[in-house]
Amino acid sequence: MAKEVTLDCMGEACPVPLIKTENALKKLTVGDMLIVQIDHSCAMKNVPEWARKEGHNVEIEEVDDGEWEIFIEKTK
Amino acid sequence: MEKKVEKYDVVIIGGGAAGLTAGIYCGRARLKTLLIEKSLVGGLATYTNEIENYPGFPEGATGLGLMELFHKQAKKFGVTFKLTDVKSVNLEGETKIVETFRTTYEAKAVIVASGGKPRLTGAKGEDGFLYDKGISFCATCDAAANTGKTVLVVGSGDAAIEEGMFLTKFADKVIVSVLHDTGKMDCNEIAKAQAMSNPKMEFIWNTVVHEFAGEERLNAVILKNLKTEELIPVKVDSCFLFIGYLPNTDIFKGMLDMNRGGYLITNEKMETNIEGVFAAGDVRDKFLKQVATAVGDGAIAGYSVEKYIAESETFHSQIMRSDMPGMVYVWNAVDPKCRELLPLIEKYEAALVGKVRVTRVDVYKSAGIATRLGVTQVPCIVTIKDGKIDRVITDNICDEEIAAAVE
Repeated sequence: MAKEVTLDCMGEACPVPLIKTENALKKLTVGDMLIVQIDHSCAMKNVPEWARKEGHNVEIEEVDDGEWEIFIEKTK
Repeated sequence: MEKKVEKYDVVIIGGGAAGLTAGIYCGRARLKTLLIEKSLVGGLATYTNEIENYPGFPEGATGLGLMELFHKQAKKFGVTFKLTDVKSVNLEGETKIVETFRTTYEAKAVIVASGGKPRLTGAKGEDGFLYDKGISFCATCDAAANTGKTVLVVGSGDAAIEEGMFLTKFADKVIVSVLHDTGKMDCNEIAKAQAMSNPKMEFIWNTVVHEFAGEERLNAVILKNLKTEELIPVKVDSCFLFIGYLPNTDIFKGMLDMNRGGYLITNEKMETNIEGVFAAGDVRDKFLKQVATAVGDGAIAGYSVEKYIAESETFHSQIMRSDMPGMVYVWNAVDPKCRELLPLIEKYEAALVGKVRVTRVDVYKSAGIATRLGVTQVPCIVTIKDGKIDRVITDNICDEEIAAAVE
């Protein structure tokens, strides 16, 4: 059964969200969803870019002005 | 994980200048509009530092700044944005399906504004030097920054040679890597002759890029001679790639008509071969790819969608109803023969109130509904029974025929 894990990176600047995302994703299994919460626009660029490059499914949702949730589905 | 299903009037695929403009038009027409962008809103224009030919900005604008304004304007008109990849589409049928990995979107119309990207060489080290780190795709954009420098141009088509000649106005030396044998190029003969006699231009024949090298920035390109396998290191300040453009149309293959290069074919209303599916911007087979032309495409596509959806609604909610029989008069307001029949139609309109729903469809304004009814010739009368087309009368439209048809 696939699970959903939320990773709070609010108030954290680059490269912290990216490193946390990499580590969090390592612990998940294929099919699981990681939701990274960020409010730093630079993380909005490098986190999805990295995840896409790794081949995972990525979607970014703007939950509020300047706050985003990055949905990453682990694919491998 | 179970996929959500969300319904929209229109889904726009691609958030560059064309998609954003289409969004502004759809949003302003009060359509429930979704725009899906796979990376960052703004598209290819955001890679351009300075846009000096987009009207309305005499001081110039940065690509990113200009696209942020487009984005803001689309948001103002209520466009919803989703930043994710479109995985697949199903465009046949009246409800169009657009799938992302989390959601299935159902829409009445789709605008494809997925753009394209410059083709890369695939050589070693390329990834590390793209755009502002030394590999450029636009002489118009980056020539001035290479004043007094040495640049390498890869390619020998019209774009490569013409842009290369433009670069000689700024750079000290423009070296061109050509795939073909000495003296053979893909460009037109006039450009070739001019380039060959340009003292600032130098050609290295039979070569492809083997590797891009440098530290923070590109400082050398290692070419490889295809015949001798010899590696030729060339010291450069910048490299310009003009080896073609790849439209993002893979997921539409076999569905939407495209030309040999994969660009989508549309008419001037931005309609593709599938009803309710439109295309706009760089993804289209078109003459000039610029922000200014993408904006024009987007406006037309947005307007076309609005007309298409309005027509669909008329068609279903008024014409193809099963609660009461219907009669449709398909006519052309500029055709005298059609106008002559109007009093007769009006007579029936009055006589049939509450019994038969009479609709007039003027093809002069739009042929959309007539097409849906399968009507190609006017004047024409179509009768509807149980929500289906019952009879089609094209010849000898007169009192008796109509009376018999609406019996």
